[in-house]
Amino acid sequence: MRRRQAFRPFVPRGRRAVAAILATFAIFSAISVGLSIWSTSRSQYKASVLEVAARQRTLAERYVKEVLLARDGVQANPTYVAVLLEQSSSALLDGGTAPAVNGDDDETKLSPASGSEVRGQLRQGRRLARDLTAVGAAVLAHRSVTSVELTAHEHLIVTDPIERLRVLSALTSNVSLNAARSIATADDRNINNLITIQIILGVAGFLASLLLGWALIAATLRQAAHFRSLVTSSTDLVLVYGPGGCRYVSQSVAKMVGREDRELLGDELENFVHSEDLASLRTACAHGEPAETVFRVRNRFGEWRHLEAHVTDLRASRRIRGVVLNARDITERIRLQDQLTRQAFYDGLTMLPNRALFRDRLQQALARSARSSNALAVLLVDLDGFKQVNDSLGHDAGDQLLEAVAERFDATSRPEDTLARLGGDEFALLLDGAHESQAVGVAQRLLEALTEPIWIAGRELVVGASIGIALHAGGPGLGEELLRHADVAMYAAKEAGRGRFELFRYDMARELGELLGLEHELRLGLQRGEFTLHYQPEVDLENGDVVGVEALLRWNSPRRGQVPPDRFIPVAEATGLILPLGEFVLRDACRQTAQWRSDGVLPERFVTWVNLSGRQLSGAGIRSVVKSALDDAGLPAQYLGLEMTETALVHDGAGWERSQADLVALHDEGVRIAIDDFGTGFSSLGHLRRFPVDMIKVDRSFVQGLEDEAKDAAITANLVTLAHALGVLAIAEGIESDGQLASLRGLGCDLAQGFLFARPMPAGQVGKLLSGSFGDLFEPASAVA
Amino acid sequence: MLLRQRLRSRVSLFCVGLVLCALASALLASCSSGSSKRARTGAVVRVTERDFRIAVSPARVHAGTVRLLLWNKGPDTHELIIVRAPRGRLPLRSDGLTVNEEALAAVETEEGQSPGAVDELRLDLKPGRYELFCNMAGHYLGGMRAVLVVT
Repeated sequence: MRRRQAFRPFVPRGRRAVAAILATFAIFSAISVGLSIWSTSRSQYKASVLEVAARQRTLAERYVKEVLLARDGVQANPTYVAVLLEQSSSALLDGGTAPAVNGDDDETKLSPASGSEVRGQLRQGRRLARDLTAVGAAVLAHRSVTSVELTAHEHLIVTDPIERLRVLSALTSNVSLNAARSIATADDRNINNLITIQIILGVAGFLASLLLGWALIAATLRQAAHFRSLVTSSTDLVLVYGPGGCRYVSQSVAKMVGREDRELLGDELENFVHSEDLASLRTACAHGEPAETVFRVRNRFGEWRHLEAHVTDLRASRRIRGVVLNARDITERIRLQDQLTRQAFYDGLTMLPNRALFRDRLQQALARSARSSNALAVLLVDLDGFKQVNDSLGHDAGDQLLEAVAERFDATSRPEDTLARLGGDEFALLLDGAHESQAVGVAQRLLEALTEPIWIAGRELVVGASIGIALHAGGPGLGEELLRHADVAMYAAKEAGRGRFELFRYDMARELGELLGLEHELRLGLQRGEFTLHYQPEVDLENGDVVGVEALLRWNSPRRGQVPPDRFIPVAEATGLILPLGEFVLRDACRQTAQWRSDGVLPERFVTWVNLSGRQLSGAGIRSVVKSALDDAGLPAQYLGLEMTETALVHDGAGWERSQADLVALHDEGVRIAIDDFGTGFSSLGHLRRFPVDMIKVDRSFVQGLEDEAKDAAITANLVTLAHALGVLAIAEGIESDGQLASLRGLGCDLAQGFLFARPMPAGQVGKLLSGSFGDLFEPASAVA
Repeated sequence: MLLRQRLRSRVSLFCVGLVLCALASALLASCSSGSSKRARTGAVVRVTERDFRIAVSPARVHAGTVRLLLWNKGPDTHELIIVRAPRGRLPLRSDGLTVNEEALAAVETEEGQSPGAVDELRLDLKPGRYELFCNMAGHYLGGMRAVLVVT
């Protein structure tokens, strides 16, 4: 089975139909013209035959007269007439030239006669003419007329020669005229037939062209119906605009707008097109440009639909004479685009603009500022202690906190300001047209907004924020730079003690740039194993025995060389790197101590002290970290001591209670605990009493002033007394001279560490040292380092 | 809609065909000769004309209805005139070539029979001598005469 095309192109079929009509007419006309030509020539022939037949009669009669004249001796030429008779009768029968008889007629050309009947008559005519001339010749020769043999079956009943001649003459002319009449009759019949045939041909041609024309019209209608149904059933919307406004709308348009077609014709655009799009649409309709236009149309449910139209200028086309809009409903696409834009430019949690959008807005504001010289300010807000919330209460709580904070910030800022969440706990606020005083005011309001506690998961949380402010005085500027300045100022605010704002100054940039570089290198160094532990011995002041070591972190940076701890520890604290670093110290110290122990050099009651930062304490799971370090090293807990500052200990963060519990638990398991830098921080004896402390470390600042400053000496004495009152050991650090040693021994201090005995040293040297003792020497130990 | 259109086109095609068929059959009908039939009673006389003689067979019939079957065997066109006439030559017109029909009471005149034509005449003939002749110029004198005797 042949597959039929769903839609056959019409044009070739239409051409075929027209060609068939024309061909029919051409064939029929040709037949008709041919018949007419033929009948005309037949008519001419008929006239000629009639004429020649008439002459035949004249000739026959003239012959008789000439014979009679010749017989009577008058000058005559019957023989010539006989020749003419013969010639013309032969011409009638077989064609040829019939001679002229009188002076006033011409020779006549004849074609051979057709038709057996006519030919029989003409043949008889020639025979009779010959009989006539034969009889005539007999008369002239005075022979017996009856003896002349007749060829045309005459049975003459007259015997007189003249009578015979006259009868034969009559017979001759009679038969010629009869033949001519037969031809005329046959011709008339032919003409009648011709007329009939032409009528039939005409009717048939008319009917055929009617049929073909009808087929043509039917095909055209089908075609039109086909296209109409294609256009009307299509969801695409088609509109044609001409000089008088809308000239055509497809049904889909009427269906969409919910009105009759004719209501949409003319200049009715404003009734259903969005007023903002009206001008551009009118332009497109009037000029056929641009090729694409998007406009909004209110549909029958009253909602705005976005239409994207292809504009085709067919004003030059004779059939259309207008601009054609081929429109599609792209509302869903635009909705999707909006959604994608939201996802790309808005933060999913707080629904605030994200970093990308903030940057964009900043660029725009700067571009405006470059023109108008308006000032603007960027505030960068970083929440303090957000990480602790996230670590201790979980990410859900963190998210809730961020949402709550975003809400408060949003309520504080003006609608024209851009509040964005740049990521993590970092927010940014763009204040267009704000000077320093306004920016500071906003920063204060933001900080105030956080003073009220936030309830998250049944807990009352107070988070602070550090705000960096970067101001732009107006004119050209770079968004990136402004953000970086705000970032620097924010770090400065953090450094300066958090919960505050700082305005950017150029001298901040240098410090912070170094700080940021350091952070990056610290991270890398931790991965590359650039950190090592050195150990500073702690000596029993009674007998000079080494009873412990303090593990001290050393960073051998390939770029910076040996970096002192007071340079990188604050950075590690600020960035949270202190946690992995602290864990590294714990594990390495435990492993090393276990090594000494297995080497057999480790004395009884020896303690390796490791410093813990406040961040480590408040972070989750200090207990598990310590325990896993001990277990992995295979070290009994009593060989490990943890040192922490007063501040770290009494820090009242969210995880304080739990960290306190952790410390108590660790102490119960045998881990020693010491207070570092005692006397410098905000000491709370109440807290101290509650903690299971084994040792108090007197800060080196007091020890160094021991010989010269009476005040320092008094404080040191009191600290040692306090330690003993609490039932814990006292250790002095930073002993550099014999005088200091003597004073401390006088105060009854239990232990000491310092350059006087030994500098911090690698683990290998500690092993050697442990086999000896500072016991009887008590000499400057610089030689050992 | 499409179906109906197609149906309509079929119907109209059929109509046109019908008209054409009717035309064709009419043509055929007109071509076929429709000579009326006549009662075949009475004596039959065959009259054969040729150049230049008339043969009548039989030459004697009984009075009453006589059917003359004419056949012009040609080659020329001929007439047939039947007159009741005594023995002897018929009177001629002044041209000396044709019979003076007006002087005779023609029983029947059959004019202009083209060669090959056949016709039938039905005559009610009383007893007598009848002469049959062709009165085209010279034909009578040329020998086209015959006698039919009715008893």
